[in-house]
Parts: sequence; C-alpha cells; structure tokens
Amino acid sequence: MAPSSYFALFDIPPAFDLDLAALGDRYRALAKDTHPDRYADTDDATRRQAVQRSASLNEAYQVLKTPALRAHHLLALQGRAMDLEATIQDPEFLMQQLAWREELEALQEAVDLSGISAFKKRLYNTQQDLAEAFSACWQDAAQSAKAERLIRRMQFLDKLSQQVRQLEERLDD
Amino acid sequence: MALLQISEPGQSAQPHQHRLAVGIDLGTTNSLVATVRSGVPETLADVQGEVILPSVVRYLPEEIWVGQAAKNSAAQDPLNTIVSVKRLMGRGLADVQQLGTQMPYHFVAGGSQMPFIETVQGPKSPVEVSADILRVLRQRAEDALGGSLTGAVITVPAYFDDAQRQATKDAATLAGLNVLRLLNEPTAAAVAYGLDTQAEGVIAVYDLGGGTFDISILRLSKGVFEVMATGGDSALGGDDFDHAIADWVIKNSSISANLSPAEQRTLLDRACRAKEQLSQEQQVVLQFGDWRGDLTRITFETLIEPLISRSLKACRRALRDAEVEAQEVQAVVMVGGSTRVPKVRQAVAELFDTEPLTNIDPDKVVAIGAAIQADALAGNRQDDGDMLLLDVIPLSLGLETMGGLMEKIIPRNTTIPVARAQEFTTYKDGQTAMMIHVLQGERDLISDCRSLARFELRGIPPMVAGAAKIRVTFQVDADGLLSVSAREQSSGVEASIQIKPSYGLTDAEIARMLEESLTRATEDKNARTLREQQVDAWRLLEAVDSALTTDGERLLNANERESIEAAMLRLRAAVDEQDAGVIEQRIKHLSQVTDAFAARRMDDSIQKALAGKNLDEIET
Repeated sequence: MAPSSYFALFDIPPAFDLDLAALGDRYRALAKDTHPDRYADTDDATRRQAVQRSASLNEAYQVLKTPALRAHHLLALQGRAMDLEATIQDPEFLMQQLAWREELEALQEAVDLSGISAFKKRLYNTQQDLAEAFSACWQDAAQSAKAERLIRRMQFLDKLSQQVRQLEERLDD
Repeated sequence: MALLQISEPGQSAQPHQHRLAVGIDLGTTNSLVATVRSGVPETLADVQGEVILPSVVRYLPEEIWVGQAAKNSAAQDPLNTIVSVKRLMGRGLADVQQLGTQMPYHFVAGGSQMPFIETVQGPKSPVEVSADILRVLRQRAEDALGGSLTGAVITVPAYFDDAQRQATKDAATLAGLNVLRLLNEPTAAAVAYGLDTQAEGVIAVYDLGGGTFDISILRLSKGVFEVMATGGDSALGGDDFDHAIADWVIKNSSISANLSPAEQRTLLDRACRAKEQLSQEQQVVLQFGDWRGDLTRITFETLIEPLISRSLKACRRALRDAEVEAQEVQAVVMVGGSTRVPKVRQAVAELFDTEPLTNIDPDKVVAIGAAIQADALAGNRQDDGDMLLLDVIPLSLGLETMGGLMEKIIPRNTTIPVARAQEFTTYKDGQTAMMIHVLQGERDLISDCRSLARFELRGIPPMVAGAAKIRVTFQVDADGLLSVSAREQSSGVEASIQIKPSYGLTDAEIARMLEESLTRATEDKNARTLREQQVDAWRLLEAVDSALTTDGERLLNANERESIEAAMLRLRAAVDEQDAGVIEQRIKHLSQVTDAFAARRMDDSIQKALAGKNLDEIET
C-alpha cells in the first residue's frame, strides 16, 4: 500500500526544497480548521475526529519541516521506502562518525563551551551540505543508493545535534 | 451541537445568545475568576470587592471557609487549614513526604496512592480541597453574571504532568464545572498580552508563581499562539523564597528548628510579609518570638540567588528546545506575584537582554487570558476563527522496555494533539501476555520517571520470541491528557487505557466525593440533569437543522437524510416527555446518525480553506 502523502495534506507538490516559512503559514491556517478547540462545544464523536485529524496534521508538519524525515517520506512516496534498521554500508561516514563522537567527548571533558559552539556551527554546515546533495540527486533513480546514504547521514547528524544539546544541558548544571 | 461550530464565521446559528463562560486561574497562593463582558475581559470580585481569593481552605466541624478568612486562621488552626494545596495535586504519598518538612498536615493513605489530609471533617484529598476553592469561584461568577455557567477554562502550569492535569480536571468536575479546556498558564498570559498588543514574533513568558515556575517560548503569528517549547520546575516558587527567609531566621536565632505547626505558619507568614516589603524597602525588621533581626534586601537576594538560578537554567533549556537564541526573543511577559521581586526582574532582563513587560497585573494576567479563551471556546467571539492556541506536551511520554529503561514514544515539546505508534515484540517463546508500563519524564531509567499507568495485553497467540508484532499507540488530546492502546497485529488482540494516574483518585473515591458534594448541594439534581439534557437536545437539534439547510442537499442522499430527520423527530418527542434518560439516549442516537455528515462537512470546510490559495503562494 502506498503511503498517503503529507504533501497532499498541505496541498503542495512533493519536493525536497521547501519554503519553511510558507509551510508554517499553511500549517497554521490548516490548524485553525482542524484543531479540537474549534469543536469544543460539539459531541464526543466530532471532537474525537478533530483530535485525530489534528494529530495527523501535526505529524505531517513535523515530517515536512524536518529535512531527514522529509527526505525519507519522499522516497517512501516513490515506493522506495528504506529499512531504517538495516546495517549501514558506509565505511567512510562510519569513520567520520567516530571522529565526531571522540571530538564531542573531548569537548565535554574539557568543558570547552566555545569549542562546543564551533562544533555546532560545523555540524550545521554539514547538515546544509547534505541537504543540498540530496536535493540534487533524489529524483534520479540511478542515484538511489546515494540518496539513501545521504538520508542516513542526515539522521545521524540529527541525533548528534540532540547529543550536543544534552551536553550543553549537563554543562549548564 | 455537533455541526454548529463549522458554520461559517459570523453566521452562528444563535447570533444573540451569549454563553456564560469563565477563565479560572487556580493558583498555589491565590485564585481568580475572570470573564469577557461586552468584549472586554475583566476579573470578577466578591461581594466585598475583592478579586483575589487566597487559595486557602479551612475545615471546621460544620462548615468550610475558603479565602481570606481561612488564610487569617492558618496560624491558629494549621492542621485544618490547607494552604498551597496545588503542590499536592497529582502527587503520591512519597512525593509529599519530601515536602513534609514544609507542610504541617497529617497525611493518611487513601484507596489509591493519593495522600489524604486528616481534618476535623475527616480525610480530604487535594482534589477535594481544590474543588472547594473552585466551588466558591463558580458561585461568585454565577452571582455576578446571573446564570449558570456553560463552561470554564482552567489554567494549569505548563509543566504539570499528566497526573497533575487529571487531578485538576477531577477537581473541576467535583465542583460542578464543565471544563472547556485545561490551558497552560503561560499560554494564557501570552493571550492576554498578545491580543492586547497585536504582537508578532517570538515571546517568552516567565511565570514565577507561589509554588511553580514555568517558562514558555511562543511564536505569535496572525492570531496563532504556537508554543515552541516549555519548561520549568514544578517545585519552585515564591513559597520557596518564604522558606529561605524562614530558614535564615532559624539559623540566625536560637530558635529550635522543631517548630509546632502553628509556629511554622506564623514564621512563614512573617517571612512572606518581609519578602513583599523588600520589593520596596532596602531593609525590614523581622520579629519572631523573642527574636528580632534586620533583613536587608542584599541578604535576601543572596538567599534567593540559587532559586533564581534554577529558573534561569530552565529558561536556557527552553530556548535550546525552541531552537532560538535569547536575543531573538522580542518580548518577555512576567507572570506571578513573585516577579515583583526586583532581583527576579533584573535577572530576567539580563538573560533576555530586554526589559520585561509588567503592564498587565502579574496576578491577573493568567485569569484574563483564560477568560478570553473561554469566551472563544464557548462560541461568543465572532472572529474566533482568528485565534488558536497550539500547545505542546511538557515532558516526554514513553514505555518501559527491557532492563528497566524508558523508551520515548513522544518527545517533550511535541505539539498536541498528537498520536504516535511504535512496534514492540515478545521476548520469550510462547509468550501470551505483555505488560505495558506507561511513563513520563526525561531520564533513561524508569525509576527516575513518573509512572502513569500499567496495563496488560493478554491473549497474544503463542509464537516464537520476536515474532509477535505489538503496536502501541499513544494519543494526547488538546488538554494534554493521554490515552494508550496496544494491539497485536497478526491476531488483532487489543487492550487500551485512558490514563488514570497512579496518583489519582480511584473511581470509588470519586464516586464518594461526588455523592457528598451532591448531598450538600441545595439544588435538585434530577431537575438539573433534565434541564441540561433539554438544553443539549435543543442545541443539537438547531445545529443539525441549520446544517441540513446549508449542506443537506449537497452532502446527503435521500436515505441518509431520512434517517437523520427521523432521529430528530424522536428527540423532539423525548424533550417534551421530560425524561432525562430517554433524552440522553436519543441525543446519542442523533449524534451517531449525523456522524458521517459531520465528517463530510469538516472535509468540505478544509477544502474550502485550501481553495482560493494557489500553489505559487505556498511554494514561494
């Protein structure tokens, strides 16, 4: 069964390059029509429906505004769903992951706040590069393997950003 | 009523009927009620002209005092006078024992894990005490507005977990209030300011109340209040400032730390007064027993410094979660009496590099925002399609997995409503049951998280380990309340639970309390039920009628229309026969037969919302 398109819910054509500000505006407009608060005074069944629709809308927005999730969704729409649990065949990136992690550990031990800030910046730039590379290749079926590799890299960097945030939190204690 | 809300804005079926709706700020220290009259939000006063109701309840053998009178007697009758009960809401006995040194009450265990306070009127749960406060506010509002209330929006700290929210809702039910919505306090404050100033952009709400601290980062855009992140500390508040002063008194005097409950209350009252004076004065004289001492503002600021730091740390965390820098915040709204402390204002101004907004009374701003939202939810605002509050869950929700670890299903600061599912499997051959343990919190170990509920999925067909596919779905509604269901995919075996927090009331306790509150009520319950059912029935009939007129032709076939009209006839007949039970049944039936119609109309209205905007607009 083909997955239903989150793009269709927002009434926009499937694309990787999105204007996030416009997406946000559209989300808020749709939320005004679906949010349960608009049905506060109705019966249970109507309210339940509104909760479900609203939850789907929120899920769709979350996916569309997050590059890695959006990329994954685009491939799934083309019938190229990836198995996210599959073992990664990307030795070059594996080495880089190890390097990033070691660097982050060193920054943590040294409590190097300016180092962390520089690390974040580099992380951000790499994420931008990955997004650009994906945008250039995902529609080309011949480069399918490359597109998948890029998504996995994006996902790893998202996780790494999360870890950086947790580290900042710990150092703030 | 099913179909009324989706009539075009400004074309409400009952244009002249104004429904009585209020916003209630149920605070740790003080509570308020507000409403919107002729388009203007205002707080409602009691007969003496007092707007603020101290959240204090005193139990006497034959009566219950609520408010200032109760507060005045706190020192003289500390065991029967309950203050800061909000701190106990949704808490277990173990949590309370941690607060024990600060609370003079005698706690006893109830049927659930909820602590009960021993009083002359017998054991009282925090939910009942809160309900007694809410009852007074409800009465005040009904007297002032001259009619019974359609509903209320009740505010809760954004940081309240599921158990605390559920407890608040239970208290409202017990007080006979129809809860239109539980609204986060900072969001309410943002509404009060946002609608006032027509602001756009990122704002922060710093809410330091009596017992809780909340920080929320919101984005305001064309009437939509989108919470980006929220955080805080549900055990940090102005009360802690009082305790810091009290501890300082004990340290600097020869007074033993083993005070009687009455002495403790007196000391805390003096400390509170000193704190308030220090917002104007540089130095105050404190007296307790034979001891007298000077407390300077500088010393006071040193005492509360660690507490303020805790609040700032929560602010930085919320900023990180919202992925905005402190400098991007355009305005900071101050809420709660404790934000009158100059040191607090100064610290906040430094962090956000902007002078905080204090022009709406920090004690009233939450109630005012809640009233505006209540007015919109009750359908009184002609332009209510323009205002929308998008809240988030404050703490991550997840499940216990192997090894006592918490696996997050929905991370904190996810916009609600939300539904997420995850698949799990069995770990033993032939396993036929699985325990689902629902948790809330940020830590990895389940022992560091709050346990919300446990339930079991039984009847899984025996399979080899890892073969069963159990899909667990979490759904959080707009009030932030959770329900969980589990389903084994191959057999279709299902189990689900509406989260009844481990620290909540048992059904038996709720039943007993409802019964008690009803015997105390003067009005005849049956007459009331009948009246309510009749009103509901008329509303539903009118709504369906108007929906049929506008969309019946287009969206229904002859058969569908016929069965709807038949159900309407039966309901009309029931209303005339004056039997509440029959009316209820037929309301239900009419709702059922109009279900599909309602869904089609909703789709239709979304289509309409999308129409008229072309693709270029979206893509650029």
